[in-house]
Amino acid sequence: MSTISTTSSVLSARGLHHSFGQTKALRGIDLDVQRGEVLAVMGPSGSGKSTLLHCLAGVLVPDGGSVTYRPAGRSPMETSALGEPKRARLRLTDFGFVFQFGQLLPELTAADNVSLPLLLAGTRRPEALRRSTELLERLGLNGMGTKLPGELSGGQAQRVAVARALVASPAVLFADEPTGSLDSLASENVLTLLLELVREAGTTVVMITHDARTAAYADREVIVRDGGLGAGYRVTA
Amino acid sequence: MNPALLKLAVVGSRSSYGRLGGIAGGVAVGVCLLLLLWGGANGLSARDDRGAWLRETGLPSVAAPLTADPTASGPAMPVPLTADTVLMEANPVEVFRDRLINRRDVAALDPTTVKIPGIGSPPAPGRYYASPALQRLIEATPRNELGDRFGTFAGTIDDAALPGPDSLIVVTGATETELRQNGRAFLVSGFTTNPYGGSAAAYNTVLSIGAIAVFFPVLLLISIVTGLGAAQRRERFATLRLIGASPQVISRIAAVETAVPSLIGAVLGVVLALVLRPAAAQIPVNGTRMFAADLTTGPASAAAVVAVVVTASALVAAHRTAHAGIGPLGVTRAVHEKAPTMWRSVPLLAGLAAMITAVLIIRVMGVRLPWLESPLLIGGFVLILVGIVAIGPWLTRLVSRMGLRQARSAAGVIAASRIQKTPVATFRSVSGLVIAVFVVSVFAGGSSIIESTEAPPTRPGLLQPTSLHATVGAGSTPAQVADAARQAKELPGIRNAVVGYGPAALSERDAGPEIYLHAEDAPGLGFKDIPAEETVSVDTSFLWTTHPLALNPAPAASLDEMVPIVIVLGTDGTPEAMDRARTALNGSGITAIPANSPLDLNLQSTTRLIQGLAVLAYLGMFVAIAIAGLSLAVATASAILDRKRVLGLMRLMGMPVSVLRRIITREAAVPLLTVLLLSVGLGFLVAWLMVTFIDDTYRVTWPAPGYFMALGISLLLALGAVIATFSLIRGSTAVTATRFE
Repeated sequence: MSTISTTSSVLSARGLHHSFGQTKALRGIDLDVQRGEVLAVMGPSGSGKSTLLHCLAGVLVPDGGSVTYRPAGRSPMETSALGEPKRARLRLTDFGFVFQFGQLLPELTAADNVSLPLLLAGTRRPEALRRSTELLERLGLNGMGTKLPGELSGGQAQRVAVARALVASPAVLFADEPTGSLDSLASENVLTLLLELVREAGTTVVMITHDARTAAYADREVIVRDGGLGAGYRVTA
Repeated sequence: MNPALLKLAVVGSRSSYGRLGGIAGGVAVGVCLLLLLWGGANGLSARDDRGAWLRETGLPSVAAPLTADPTASGPAMPVPLTADTVLMEANPVEVFRDRLINRRDVAALDPTTVKIPGIGSPPAPGRYYASPALQRLIEATPRNELGDRFGTFAGTIDDAALPGPDSLIVVTGATETELRQNGRAFLVSGFTTNPYGGSAAAYNTVLSIGAIAVFFPVLLLISIVTGLGAAQRRERFATLRLIGASPQVISRIAAVETAVPSLIGAVLGVVLALVLRPAAAQIPVNGTRMFAADLTTGPASAAAVVAVVVTASALVAAHRTAHAGIGPLGVTRAVHEKAPTMWRSVPLLAGLAAMITAVLIIRVMGVRLPWLESPLLIGGFVLILVGIVAIGPWLTRLVSRMGLRQARSAAGVIAASRIQKTPVATFRSVSGLVIAVFVVSVFAGGSSIIESTEAPPTRPGLLQPTSLHATVGAGSTPAQVADAARQAKELPGIRNAVVGYGPAALSERDAGPEIYLHAEDAPGLGFKDIPAEETVSVDTSFLWTTHPLALNPAPAASLDEMVPIVIVLGTDGTPEAMDRARTALNGSGITAIPANSPLDLNLQSTTRLIQGLAVLAYLGMFVAIAIAGLSLAVATASAILDRKRVLGLMRLMGMPVSVLRRIITREAAVPLLTVLLLSVGLGFLVAWLMVTFIDDTYRVTWPAPGYFMALGISLLLALGAVIATFSLIRGSTAVTATRFE
């Protein structure tokens, strides 16, 4: 196990345990995510990497152990000790999410989909739409703001999802197989744009992936195996 | 079809069982209501058939022989009573408290061949047959308030001749002389089986419309529940397509998958209807409950309902699946709803045009074309029902488009966007409630003509509502009348007895235009300004007019030279005193027509045809609103389940549950409020058309407070239905649930 420094970490997990019935998904994981880094979480199916991501993001409360979030300019907080309303608020204001598929509301235009986090945070709609359109343009989706998700290609829809995840300038972006449903070209395109935006904004990224080529975009990668951090836990950058 | 494949497709998970249970439960409720309502409609018809004999008007009991001069007739001669006829008289105002008793006085020769329905041979003079409900009432009431009117109890009328178990009917025996006295008796040789007489067509038309109005929401409910969990099913079907099932196989599976729970639900519904039939028969319609047997629809009808419901739901499921664009990789093409256009207003406009035409034919052109009027009215009504459901999505979309432009919050944007993209699906959720409000408005509008009947005024110069009056029969002596007045005055609650005089009984040719009385008796009739004479007079229209009359001095008139023509008993206004006065007068033997009060006229109003429907209205309101609430809850739950993945992901990203609740509430509120006003307006317009169709002297007025209560309950029910799904929102979009989707 490598030495872990917590001084500049934005997220720290200590002794994370979580079970689903008789199945132990996490078995005492310790992990720090450094501020501004892009961390790839790899591992075989069923190894517990999605459970780890959900515990870090406050989606799941671990059965044991703790997760501490250290926002810039605010006091650290143990997210695993917060109630669901506070964790939901945290996910809305500080975190962003990108999933593999099925995350866009089909009835909303691309611009409306992107503006949702801003509207939820209380931004006025014209302002939210302006910022959404700007971000969509930066992601190469000029003129696509009025399209419905059903009218977009897989790569375009995923870029809309990325825009939505980043529009409220989250401190941490959680991505669960963000390019899992895309071909290699579209995948590369989405990742390049995503990383360009997060590096520019200094956003921390925790990204689950099966794909070594996707993981290669990360600053660091960890491998989860049987609910623990495997031997491949290493720093690549 | 491979049974194993079917089993996999149909019962793969716990949620599948929930969905199938929901379909079976919804269909069971729908079929049960359908059968009970069908039974109710049959029952009303059977009830009217059993009571048809009471409408028998026979032939005149007097005839004027022809004379040489065709413009004149000779003196009226009695038509003789024979062994194959009975002399019968209907008492139009036999009232007890505020209930009308259907009374027939009968005189017959002994022996007679005429059989009275439910009785057999007519009762002897002084004896009576009563319906069981009336006999119970007689036994529970002091005789001087009710029983003394009829004589000695001879037996009860058989159920076969009673509209319902609460019907108040009495057949009393009388002598031929008694019945011939006032010339209102008629000769009867047999009894009619036509329950409606000349208004049968109008009654049947209005009854059909009432039945359709109540059935329509039930059909909507069945349609909504069979579409439950459509999105989940699409995912399952996509998996089957992936492993090689053809689109046809998928459609067949969908048909069977819906048919199985529909069949279970329909059979359950039949059993439920059988179990609930005695309870349903207890609901009073038009003043009486029903016999439980009246609600029986028969095995053939039950089988037909089951077959139609199962077949229709299977066909619809197959059709929906075939058009859902399900490919091996899921729903391969986005199934966009075609944007509703103005063409959707055509059925509504056509329906209105048909109903207006029916009314114009009868009221403006003044012709009766029953073969055209009824189809136009019924067809028009059905088209309006369909038209409201058709135009709803178009109006909803228009409103949501405006709403989207104005939306400021996430909930507003999401709700307005969904409504705009799926107005048909969104409106479907509230269509039941919108139809219920329309139906309730139609019924309330129809009932308002009864509600609007004016209560008789209490003013000097008019007969007081607390008084009972009767005209005195020809041949009654002043001593007899005075004796009757004296006896009546001794009864508790009777304040005064006033006798009016004239040159001859009012039924006689020599009857005068005025009633004469002692001036000292005038205050007993409610007069204030009394001329300072010993004798005064008032116009005979005083007995029925609603315009106050003044007393005239009559110094030259001598009451001793006149005969008593009317007797008026003033009471303290209590129901007991009113009935004692009524019983005293009717049993005195001096009256030409039975005693009545100004209040009694309301009970025998000509609006009784619609009054029957008005009571049906309350049943309709209850059924329609209850079903609509259920439908809304089912449809809202279905809308949540269909979007649980995407809503769950939104919640995972931090969207508060309160925002999801607001989205669901808005999605129900926008279409509901958009079409609600239209429903109310159309409801009253249709009520007015129907009422005008029956009689253009009727006026639709403001509905009774019960209507506004029903409207309020509808809205509360809508709110309740939406709130009931809140726990489902929380549960089905929980982050832990979404994670494993």
